[in-house]
Amino acid sequence: MSIARRLTRLALTLAIVGAAIGAGLYLWTLYMDTPWTRDGRVRADVLQIAPDVSGLVVRVEVGDNQPVKQGDLLFVVDPERYRIAVERAEATVAALKEQADQRRRESERRNQLGSNAITAESREQAASAAAQAAASLHQALADLETARLNLARTEIRAPVNGFVTNLQLHVGDYASAGKPVFAIVDGDSFYVVGYFEETKLAHVREGDDASVRLMGFETPVSGKVAGIARAIVDREAPQGGDLLANVNPTFSWVRLAQRIPVRIALGPLPEGLRLSAGMTATIVVEPAR
Amino acid sequence: MTMLKEFDLAGVYLSPMLLYALIAAVPWALVREGLGRAGAYALIWHPPLFNTALYLVMLAGVAAVLHQ
Repeated sequence: MSIARRLTRLALTLAIVGAAIGAGLYLWTLYMDTPWTRDGRVRADVLQIAPDVSGLVVRVEVGDNQPVKQGDLLFVVDPERYRIAVERAEATVAALKEQADQRRRESERRNQLGSNAITAESREQAASAAAQAAASLHQALADLETARLNLARTEIRAPVNGFVTNLQLHVGDYASAGKPVFAIVDGDSFYVVGYFEETKLAHVREGDDASVRLMGFETPVSGKVAGIARAIVDREAPQGGDLLANVNPTFSWVRLAQRIPVRIALGPLPEGLRLSAGMTATIVVEPAR
Repeated sequence: MTMLKEFDLAGVYLSPMLLYALIAAVPWALVREGLGRAGAYALIWHPPLFNTALYLVMLAGVAAVLHQ
């Protein structure tokens, strides 16, 4: 075999090996440096709907998964007891008003009597009694306002535009004040969170364009990076007993990149796409150059 | 727009690199067959090394094309 032929053989092989090294580097940067993640989730604000007053549920006006507008009636707690409370409060107001009027008239009369007919103390007592009666009336009016508010709060209305979710409330259930009975997903609040490896964060900035592809939907949704989380839990150092640091002895030559949540605000949704909080998303961020 | 895209295999979502690897294997096999028939391997010093390098180049090519 001639020297020239040997050299050609060697040169051809080495040329392609050189090209392969370049190709490998290109693939590495493409795959490792492009800020993208398959670990994304659709999220939305979920409101826990709780009645402000306790009582039996007498009407449920919504169905499961039903869209609701802000202010729509959701359900009604039995208003009878609260209506009676309003009547009681009204009766108290009437009685105290009568009393306050009477004390006021009495005080006025005593004020007009000369000091040879009535003592100063007796005049002062009448004025004080009138003032106390007026204060009691004021309190009774406030109680009446509270009773009316409670009666109004027996109708529970939607605080936002959204969707009823996992409705497990039925007529006849007892609803306790402050205890959530079902959830409403705020329909205007959908966003996506991508858990980006910290190695890729250098290429992610607030305001960068992002393309979000949801599992099962071909068309990507455009979005923008709205923010990057500034803290996650340090998994290597939980608090130990006696308030001491509990540091995990990890293998120092294998270190996993932590995932930092990046919030993506979604642009207009394509036709036919219905978001549900919890969906899986693939997110590719286009770094602004 | 970047086209990094998952590969849906009956509900199992796989890394796009796997898809690229499968696609690149097709021209690679064709080229090896062609080179073999043409007797070009006589001009190659180390055929297995050459084939491996060729595959890497093709993989990068596929990734570059699909990534546009």
